[in-house]
Amino acid sequence: MGLLAASVYGNWWQRSMPPTDISSNGQLIDGLWNYTTALCIFYFILVCLGLFGFSYLYSRKRHKTPYYTYGNKKQHIIVTAIIGAAVFLTIDLNITRIASNDLLQQFWKYPDPKTEKVLRVEVMAQQWMWSFRYAGADGKFATADDVVTNNDLRVPVNTKVLFHLTSKDVIHSFWVPNVRVKVDTIPGRVTRVWWDANVPGVYDIVCAEMCGANHYRMKAQLTVYTEKDFQKWVGSSQEIANITNDPDDVNQAWGWKWEI
Amino acid sequence: MSGGFNEIHPEPTTFISKYIISFDHKVIAKQFLWMGIAFLGLGGLMAILIRWTLAYQGTPFPILGALLFPDTGGVVPPDTYAMLFTMHGTIMIFYAITPILIGAFGNFCIPLMIGARDMAFPMLNMLSFWFAFLSGAVLLTSFFLPLGAASGGWTSYPTLSTTLGSPGAGQTLWCVAIFLFGVSSTMGAVNYVTTVITLRAPGMGYFDMPLTVWGLWLTAILNAIFVPVLGAGVILLTLDRVFGTTFFLAGASATSGSGDPVLFQHVFWIFGHPEVYILILPAWGIVSDLLSFFSRKPAFGAKATALAMTSVTVLSTVVYGHHMFTTQMSPLLTQAFMTMTMTISIPSAIFFANWLGTIWKGSIRFDSPMLFSLGVVFVFGLGGLTGLHLGTVTTDLYLHDTYFVVGHFHYTMAASVLLGGFAGIYFWFPKMFGRMMNEFWGKVHFWGSMLGLNGIFFGMLMVGYGGMHRRTYNPFVYEYLQKLIPINTFITLSALFMGAFQIVFVINFLYSLIKGPKASNNPWEVGTLEWTIPSPPVHHNYDEIPIVRCGPHELGNPNLKTGRDFQYQTEELVEG
Amino acid sequence: MNRNSLQNNLAMTVILISGTMLFATLLMGYAIYRTSASVWPPMGMMKVSLGYPVISTLTIFLSSWFSHQVKAEVKLGNISSARSNLDTTIVLGVLFLAVQTLLWNQLRNTGVYVESGIFASIMYGFTWIHAAHVVLGLSSLAWLRLVMKPTTNELWQKALNVEKFWHFLGIIWFILFLTLFVL
Repeated sequence: MGLLAASVYGNWWQRSMPPTDISSNGQLIDGLWNYTTALCIFYFILVCLGLFGFSYLYSRKRHKTPYYTYGNKKQHIIVTAIIGAAVFLTIDLNITRIASNDLLQQFWKYPDPKTEKVLRVEVMAQQWMWSFRYAGADGKFATADDVVTNNDLRVPVNTKVLFHLTSKDVIHSFWVPNVRVKVDTIPGRVTRVWWDANVPGVYDIVCAEMCGANHYRMKAQLTVYTEKDFQKWVGSSQEIANITNDPDDVNQAWGWKWEI
Repeated sequence: MSGGFNEIHPEPTTFISKYIISFDHKVIAKQFLWMGIAFLGLGGLMAILIRWTLAYQGTPFPILGALLFPDTGGVVPPDTYAMLFTMHGTIMIFYAITPILIGAFGNFCIPLMIGARDMAFPMLNMLSFWFAFLSGAVLLTSFFLPLGAASGGWTSYPTLSTTLGSPGAGQTLWCVAIFLFGVSSTMGAVNYVTTVITLRAPGMGYFDMPLTVWGLWLTAILNAIFVPVLGAGVILLTLDRVFGTTFFLAGASATSGSGDPVLFQHVFWIFGHPEVYILILPAWGIVSDLLSFFSRKPAFGAKATALAMTSVTVLSTVVYGHHMFTTQMSPLLTQAFMTMTMTISIPSAIFFANWLGTIWKGSIRFDSPMLFSLGVVFVFGLGGLTGLHLGTVTTDLYLHDTYFVVGHFHYTMAASVLLGGFAGIYFWFPKMFGRMMNEFWGKVHFWGSMLGLNGIFFGMLMVGYGGMHRRTYNPFVYEYLQKLIPINTFITLSALFMGAFQIVFVINFLYSLIKGPKASNNPWEVGTLEWTIPSPPVHHNYDEIPIVRCGPHELGNPNLKTGRDFQYQTEELVEG
Repeated sequence: MNRNSLQNNLAMTVILISGTMLFATLLMGYAIYRTSASVWPPMGMMKVSLGYPVISTLTIFLSSWFSHQVKAEVKLGNISSARSNLDTTIVLGVLFLAVQTLLWNQLRNTGVYVESGIFASIMYGFTWIHAAHVVLGLSSLAWLRLVMKPTTNELWQKALNVEKFWHFLGIIWFILFLTLFVL
């Protein structure tokens, strides 16, 4: 029985793990999640020991005379205060500190295209599709050689990608579970996020904000290429873009010109 | 301190004045209870439809499916699915929990527990119920509109909830219904706040009030302050939808100048976060009292619990931004909200310590109300702890809008409040209806519900961590979610299991109403004021306004010589 | 039913806090719109001329003054005098709504329609919401007028309660006047 349970639940434990982390910052989130969960399990076990233990030890049958106290004696207050302080210090302050550090040193340290190698991509979300725009050979957006893809994001491996996002209609949210972070795309506003992908492969892109009846199938695909394959793709997609783009209407597939 | 208005006024005689347009808080409480239970059933049915769709894609829903969705052969279509989860949330929060915990228990318990003959403003009380009823009626009519009811999520974010994303009158009626409900809540809040402050029996200081009353009073204060904020939000949304204003329009829909959709989120959550504490405070109060009553000893650190509940109330006002971490507020604001959210752990830990301290060295009787109260400690502990993952910005960037959030808030709102509500119903049923509910079936109901609830919501935490996002009609169009299918099916089976056990409750409740054994004045042998009078009480509750001489948890005093192990609040405290 | 003044005052305080929160939310939104716009009014619109808003403000202030007199007269037992003060209060209140209507007409005549963007949304939206509460206030004044009889229980307290709500509406209007029209 135990083995059966273990095989079912062991397998379930595996199944409920997040998809493989392919980014360099994902482990910060996974690590913090583990830390938080470990401490939560610890404190919850304490609560359960109290709950089940006291229920057992102090049932009416086993413990006929209750201990008459208001819990306001000095020792009671001290114990309660220690519990409150312990929870706050071990979990809350720690996770706040760790998260703050991670935010300031990684997630909010947006790469500067002027000083480091970063691929810039513009993202437009709409009901119910993702459009991605690359600057093309001239390195400038909103020009005739921009490469626009639908539901098809391709990036090179080990390269920071800086996204600027907006939405055409309702609020959507751009999320690659394998990369962990998500950001909302808001009509009338430009949001941004950066990440890198370190494992070549094909991954799901998900819309993570209710956006209408087809929210559930607002799927896109992330392809992480090796550097060589990425350059090949850049070449071929540029060729296509040069043919299909209308030089007099650089925003034809994009909606409107938007400034960062 | 007691104010005026405690006269004995004549009893109503006609059917209408007794049961329909009643000014008696006990009748109004029951009206809220029926309304709440009816909507609970409707919301629960919607949940089953949602879970069925998630587990059995493309399979028609048995029996009802063919009736409700004839065009698709009984299968729930995607746009109806959106409407289902929207209305499930709306109904459960505003039309089930609020009427049962705040409308029914608030109305029934507050005057009785403080020794008053009625609320301070009985006419306002009556209006509060009928506004809630009207609101419910408006909401229900929206189902019959050609484009259906609101379907943008209960959070109703623009621009999805503007005419761009939600054409049709369903969303507008939603706004109207919510506004009417807000009026009802505000009326109730005025009554509860004033009644607790001015109609406590002589001798009952604030810390002599049962913690149930504390919970309900703090809830009313939060209601009075924050419901109007939501009211303002839905008025502006309605103006956008009906009159063409642009408060929340931006992007392609803002053809005549733009507003700010994120502003709605701020307004909504300034209300929304206190709202979740509004929903849980009564349950915390009830559990704090019941744990004491059934352990036969005073509530451990009762004063500290009252103060902890008050500090959570205050803190709840400054943490709302943790619902919006992915909208890119400024770094300062984001970090401030994270830090403030963390501080709520402290008072929460304190009342957990106090709850465990209450049962520690008690002499515990495991009647149904006690089992449900212990259940609350378990589920709220688990659910509350998962809030830490969500309150931390970095982990939230992964977990936001996944089933982890759904699991978290269902553990804290659905499981805790439901179990707390059941604890209250089993406990006060004798006082309300003069009969006892069946104890055996109560225990059966408890175990079935506990197992079911944990199966559902722990499963949700698991699939959420695995990356399954919420409000998704068919998650399995994604490769990476395929492995979660068995767990998803398990959640649905747990939901069906849990739903089935509610039938036990309904049968027990209805049967006991008619044929339950008659209840004595004080079947639970506890000392709060409502148990000093008959079950059910006479119309004016107290022949003579009681004089309070001791606290609400005087149990297990070794100096008692009367053969009872408790003292009524009207008795002098027996010292050694 | 004799309620003491504490209960009445508490209840009115809670009601006014709720009302304040509603308008505070609106003002918070306004602050955000205004501070995030580079120029106000946006979209090349003109500031609304102060003529009608000033008249509205004076009208509602005058109305408040008369409502204050009502209570004083009730206390002295001069019911008929109280009644006439109350009548004046109500007439001035209706006049306030009439001036608001003129204001809205004027806006339309200058090309500012409800659908004309965020500036118009705020102008119309906020003044409509205030006007709706004025209608509520007028209803309670009308009710007070109906019960303004020597035999009514606790007439003074009732007059006080209604007066508080009426003053509240005047104060809210004044804040809207300053923030929407003057600043």
